[in-house]
Amino acid sequence: MISLAGRDILQAWGKFVFTGVGLGLLIGATLTMAGVYRGMVDDARVLLGSSGTDLWVVQRDTLGPYAEASSVYDDTWRAIASIAGVARAANVTYQTMQVRRGERDVRSMVVGVAPGGPGEPGQPGHLVAGRHLTRNHYEAVADVATGFRPGDRIRIRRNDHIVVGLTRRMVSSSGDPMIFVALKDAQQAQFLKDNDAIVRQRRRTAANPAFDLPGAPGVLDAVIASQSVNPYVNAVLVQLAPGYAAEDVAEPIRRWKRLQVYTRAQMEDILIGKLIATSARQIGLFLVILAIVSAAIVAFIIYTLTMAKIREIAVLKLIGTKNSTISWMILQQALGLGVIGIIVGKLAATLWAPVFPRNVLLETGDAGRALGAVLVICVLASIVAIRAALKVDPAEAVGG
Amino acid sequence: MADSHSPGIRIEALSKRYGKGDTAVDALRHVDMQVAPGEVVGLIGPSGSGKSTLLKCLGAVIEPSAGRMTLGDRVVYDDGWKIRDLRALRRDNIGFVFQAPYLISFLDATDNVALLPMLAGCPNAESRRRAREMLRALDVDHRAGAMPAQLSGGEQQRIAIARALVNRPPVILADEPTAPLDSERALAVIRILHEMAHQYQTAVIVVTHDEKIIPTFRRIYQIRDGNAHEQVGEGRPFR
Amino acid sequence: MKRPLVRPSTLAFAGVLALLLALFAWVVMRSGPLARVPVTTTIVGSVAVAPALYGIGIVESRYTYRIGPTQAGRLGSVLVDVGDTVRAGQLLGEMDPVDLDQRVDANRSALERARAGVTSAQAQEADMSARRQYAETQARRYEQLLQARAISAEATEARRHEQRLAEAGLLAARANLDGARREVERARADLDGALRQRANMRLVAPVDGLVAARSADPGTSLVAGQWVLEVIDPASLWINARFDQLRTGGLRGGLPARVTLRSRGDQALAARVVRVEPKADAITEELLARVVLDHVPQPLPSIGELAEVSVELPPLDPRPTVPNASVHRNDGALGVWVVEAGSIKFTPVRVGAADLDGRTQILDGLEGGESVVVYSHTMLNTRTRITVVDRVPGVSP
Repeated sequence: MISLAGRDILQAWGKFVFTGVGLGLLIGATLTMAGVYRGMVDDARVLLGSSGTDLWVVQRDTLGPYAEASSVYDDTWRAIASIAGVARAANVTYQTMQVRRGERDVRSMVVGVAPGGPGEPGQPGHLVAGRHLTRNHYEAVADVATGFRPGDRIRIRRNDHIVVGLTRRMVSSSGDPMIFVALKDAQQAQFLKDNDAIVRQRRRTAANPAFDLPGAPGVLDAVIASQSVNPYVNAVLVQLAPGYAAEDVAEPIRRWKRLQVYTRAQMEDILIGKLIATSARQIGLFLVILAIVSAAIVAFIIYTLTMAKIREIAVLKLIGTKNSTISWMILQQALGLGVIGIIVGKLAATLWAPVFPRNVLLETGDAGRALGAVLVICVLASIVAIRAALKVDPAEAVGG
Repeated sequence: MADSHSPGIRIEALSKRYGKGDTAVDALRHVDMQVAPGEVVGLIGPSGSGKSTLLKCLGAVIEPSAGRMTLGDRVVYDDGWKIRDLRALRRDNIGFVFQAPYLISFLDATDNVALLPMLAGCPNAESRRRAREMLRALDVDHRAGAMPAQLSGGEQQRIAIARALVNRPPVILADEPTAPLDSERALAVIRILHEMAHQYQTAVIVVTHDEKIIPTFRRIYQIRDGNAHEQVGEGRPFR
Repeated sequence: MKRPLVRPSTLAFAGVLALLLALFAWVVMRSGPLARVPVTTTIVGSVAVAPALYGIGIVESRYTYRIGPTQAGRLGSVLVDVGDTVRAGQLLGEMDPVDLDQRVDANRSALERARAGVTSAQAQEADMSARRQYAETQARRYEQLLQARAISAEATEARRHEQRLAEAGLLAARANLDGARREVERARADLDGALRQRANMRLVAPVDGLVAARSADPGTSLVAGQWVLEVIDPASLWINARFDQLRTGGLRGGLPARVTLRSRGDQALAARVVRVEPKADAITEELLARVVLDHVPQPLPSIGELAEVSVELPPLDPRPTVPNASVHRNDGALGVWVVEAGSIKFTPVRVGAADLDGRTQILDGLEGGESVVVYSHTMLNTRTRITVVDRVPGVSP
């Protein structure tokens, strides 16, 4: 028995493939949408995993440092480093701000990391160019997504930094690329205001008569100096010593130091469960809509293809073709369309995913699930056409 | 007159009623008919007379209301279908020739014809061999690889006839096969039908109202208002 | 016409399908989990790392002289302004003397009067001295006469009495003269004191230098301790630098350094570490050091300007060295990814010193000559398959 479906497709394969490509682009859009969601989750995981951190110590009763603002004193790390099970503890600050290079502004997350070299908590996990920070001021390691290159001078608040290294896939949970600078520079950027504000504040302080005692000339200077001090960081990152469980080390810190501590699993929960949750629902809804649209389109296409040869189907039935053969012909065409669609969709998604400004992660599992879904949709969509084909009365082939 | 006991196709008191009660319509009333193998009979009548209905009953496409139908030596209908698989019945025993060739547009000439043996379970190579043989018999084997769209009307019609004949069915039902053709082509088609009928001992029933070919039938059944009666035809030979 | 074995359109369709499948397979191999991660590598060489220390400092003056009154008063005049060069001893300004001038005059008058008293006492002494001379002569004459029994003993006694009186008188006159001289000294001391007080009202430059600040204008009332002018010695500028405690082993006085002033970012000036302060900053965790420029640039850098200081330490012994981009932490251990036969293996190492360009010494774990991963497209783990490239994709040269 020859393949009726095959012959039919072969006769007008250009149209069929073209239709498959169109369906494929729709499927590609669906895959990309799923990839956007996966990319967001992956960004969050990379954010948590790349610094090699096991515990995040933040201000009590906050969800920080990513989901909520958190401030701890910058000498807290010493108390934490002395706790059993803590191998390394380091301060870190995070702030999203505009970073300028020449005329261009880039929105990025400036991360202040304690000096100490690669491998310390908070440092970028791997580089794609340049080197890690060696000086404790005015250097920066930037993510390639910023568009900076080694040697560029960038301006962060009041200071110019030189980009000495590039890293990749270091982005905040909202997709802003990260720039790593020395902790003290970041503290200054976060807490110290711009020059005009500082001068105004000095004037206000000097105008206060309590600070302007004639018999004690140094008081005013001391007060002004104390106002320019910035002793806060956003979190302390902790790496555990081998053999210690995260909760065992976290519990004492929570109780005795009156801080909030999150393990990696809890941070993932917070980031993915709270930060990304709304976006996930948006995307999920969109995926459902796309799936329905795809199903409708496939159904329409298959129905049209079937109706176009309804006379031939009547003749086939008349000359003795089994109903199952005719149904299988229609089903084969639907499945073939689906397979072409999936292949084209996966190809298209892979080709255009890098163009997106944010990370789009196309998982093979998603493609597999999409294949399954597409095949199911094709089967369901072909039911309408099959019913129509089977309803055809072979008597119609015989004239009235 | 044909021998009533020889194979071919025979119907007795075949009736077909559409609808029920007051609105019922009797399309066929107790029609008797028989065609011997090798014979080509005409079935003529005005439109609405029931000839399509009769053809559909003969082709096991619709179910009659009453009567008896014998195909070859098998009773296929006796106030009820006696055969379970009508589709197989059609496939193996009845060849259809229509007004239009109704070739499958996505199969080439050979495959259009070979489709029938394939549906009967014949292997592809053998099916194609038989198809080509039939095409040769109908003088269209030089177009064996062409798609229907590339064929002329006459070639398509011949291929359609080849398709109807390839399984050597005992019966061929032809529904207005010459309607769209001019007289020369029409006579050519009828001549082929006569030749094939004779060669393969097939009973052929031709529904027609084409004045050009009616004279060629030796026997004619006339239908009017559901009733059929036999007539002797002219039997004009072909030139 | 014989039917062609395979129709051209079938061939084309098959071709398109094959192309699609090939592309698909290519995509799966390239970007799925099966894909190979591009990395760059380098050979571990033996390099003598010259660590350098980096700190930020502020330009300060070694010696700052704040000049002001020692007692409350009103500022009378200021003769210099910020930026003026002054010499040692130059008058910079003056407090309002109030009544000091009058007091000096009074003391001067008292001194004159004391001097006049001395003259008078001297005259008195001369007088007494003459009288005693006469009485002594008389007494002697009468003694002689008494021996000649020319006069009475009573007369001689009288003359002896007169002689004694005259001597006593002379003593008294001399004592008076002493007293008058002491009075002169006292008057002079009083005058000196008043003059010194008057001089105290003058604000004088203690050294050659530059006026750096001026905090009051004439007419302002000042208390003791408030300063009017700040004078610095421009030759004594130094940089008060802070170095992170973490990697500043080896910082000591005498080391050469290079200084970049914030306002002149392109010039690196030669300098030297003068001393490391014994007291470090516990809050900011920094060591403090003073760094002096070899040649003070003209125009002078401003006091309080930021400067970046790099101190070069002597190079260490050659040891296997890797770029700091190669150092990673995996499963809690610090190490490098060594490339062996096309796959990577994590080798824990012990790191030593590093220089400011990121070259890091390896004390333990590498021999030298191994190929280690420097840059990678993604994070590496033990299951990653790699492909060695010249440059990680996505990074423009």
